[in-house]
Amino acid sequence: MRGDLSHHLEIKGACASYGRIQVLKGVDLTLGKGEVVALIGPSGSGKSTVLRMVMGLTLSTAGEIRLDGEAVNYRNPASLRRLRDRIAVVFQQYNLFQNMDVMRNVTIAPLKIKRRPRDQVVADAKRVLAKVGLADKLAAYPDELSGGQQQRVAIARALCLNPEILLLDEVTSALDPELVNEVLDTIRGLAAEGMTMLIVSHEMAFVREVATRVILMDDGQMVEAGTPQDIFDKPQTQRARDFVGKILRH
Amino acid sequence: MNYTFQWGVALQHLPGLLEGAKLTFIIGFLTFWGASLLGLVMAALKTYGGRIARRIVGAYVIFFTNTPALVQIWFLYFGLPDVGIVWDKFTCMLIGLTLNSGAYLTEIIRAGFISVRRNEIEAAETLGFSRIQQVWYVIVPHIAKTIYPALANFFIVILVMGTSIGSVIGVQELTSQAKDLATVDYRYLEVFTIAAAIYVVLTFVASITLALVGRWAFRVKAKIF
Ligand SMILES: Nc1ncnc2c1ncn2[C@@H]1O[C@H](COP(=O)(O)OP(=O)(O)OP(=O)(O)O)[C@@H](O)[C@H]1O
Ligand SMILES: [Mg+2]
Repeated sequence: MRGDLSHHLEIKGACASYGRIQVLKGVDLTLGKGEVVALIGPSGSGKSTVLRMVMGLTLSTAGEIRLDGEAVNYRNPASLRRLRDRIAVVFQQYNLFQNMDVMRNVTIAPLKIKRRPRDQVVADAKRVLAKVGLADKLAAYPDELSGGQQQRVAIARALCLNPEILLLDEVTSALDPELVNEVLDTIRGLAAEGMTMLIVSHEMAFVREVATRVILMDDGQMVEAGTPQDIFDKPQTQRARDFVGKILRH
Repeated sequence: MNYTFQWGVALQHLPGLLEGAKLTFIIGFLTFWGASLLGLVMAALKTYGGRIARRIVGAYVIFFTNTPALVQIWFLYFGLPDVGIVWDKFTCMLIGLTLNSGAYLTEIIRAGFISVRRNEIEAAETLGFSRIQQVWYVIVPHIAKTIYPALANFFIVILVMGTSIGSVIGVQELTSQAKDLATVDYRYLEVFTIAAAIYVVLTFVASITLALVGRWAFRVKAKIF
């Protein structure tokens, strides 16, 4: 049985706004060790904002976020640094550093931020890049790579921080269909290794396959949560039935 | 066409012309760095400053890009003494050209500021970069790379076109030297041919150096020819 009783990451009653518009209206979410929780929901429902809020890119206006039971203080740089030390994120748009080659993209944070020894960092990076199938692209620059390759570099970059939790935001949505699978394979591999992940995805077949739990969001709120079978096969609420009906129809 | 070239006579002036070339390079070099620094500050103000700062920078850019550099330098050299400010011609030349080039560089550098992708900054943030590390590792290299070709190009413009304005107020740079030395024995054609050749060598060496630096530092695939 996957999932730990002690919740790794907990979001309680979190609200967030962009300017005067409230986009998260009380979000509750727990992520146990080794769990893969999938966040699904229509466009604009606030999925990305949940991840941004966890990483401290968007500040919550109410509620709290706990890591191993301890509330994170996002206004305290040291507290924020500790959180970013343990959680890594990959966004929808592969945001690699354009002026650095693949190797440097992947190693800069471990070298310059975490100040780990060079040989070890380079060896780690090579191993991780090989794992995502990019062993032969170490010296390439982002603009010389395909979208799928760039996204895999972004995942490798996150993994090289040895995160305990990985957040993935629709990492396949900007890719051509034939590139989607290479990225999904990478994530499947991580799930099999027991990586704790919170993933936002529109790939429902994939979600059903890797997620231990699925949370459906709509309009800044959680509509329904459960196992993939619960959500996809016997949704309880009307909103969930509508959404599932719509996505399963195409 | 029965002009008899007398290169021997003209070549006697070569040391004087090279002396002028040296000054041309010095003015170009100092102006470029001064103007880059000025442009950097102005571009930062225009991008991140308040409304008043942005207005002032806007007025500066419009004023200096819409009046000839020659007029600006004349203003400093002939105009300012009337209100009691007397600078020597070298200073007038340098300040005038720096203010003028700085206005153009403000726009070039600002394009660099605008081009920094919010994405990359956020990525750096989530990877744990501090604010200073973000500037140093992400923002500055990005700006440098983006504007390098335009910057290198502008250096050549200053070096050739900008500095030659000095001849009008008698700064002894290459054009000025050529003009004076040519009148010594009226070998205009020869002396100006040599001066032109020196300009070509100067810009050629500068272009190649800049292209190599760009290729090495920023992967700029610059065309040398
Ligand atoms: N920077 C921003 N400024 C203002 N409003 C924003 C900003 N980013 C997002 N929003 C708004 O916040 C709401 C939630 O956006 P969010 O990106 O979290 O949705 P999402 O569920 O990730 O959607 P998608 O599936 O399209 O990625 C949307 O209504 C969006 O318009
Ligand atoms: Mg999103």
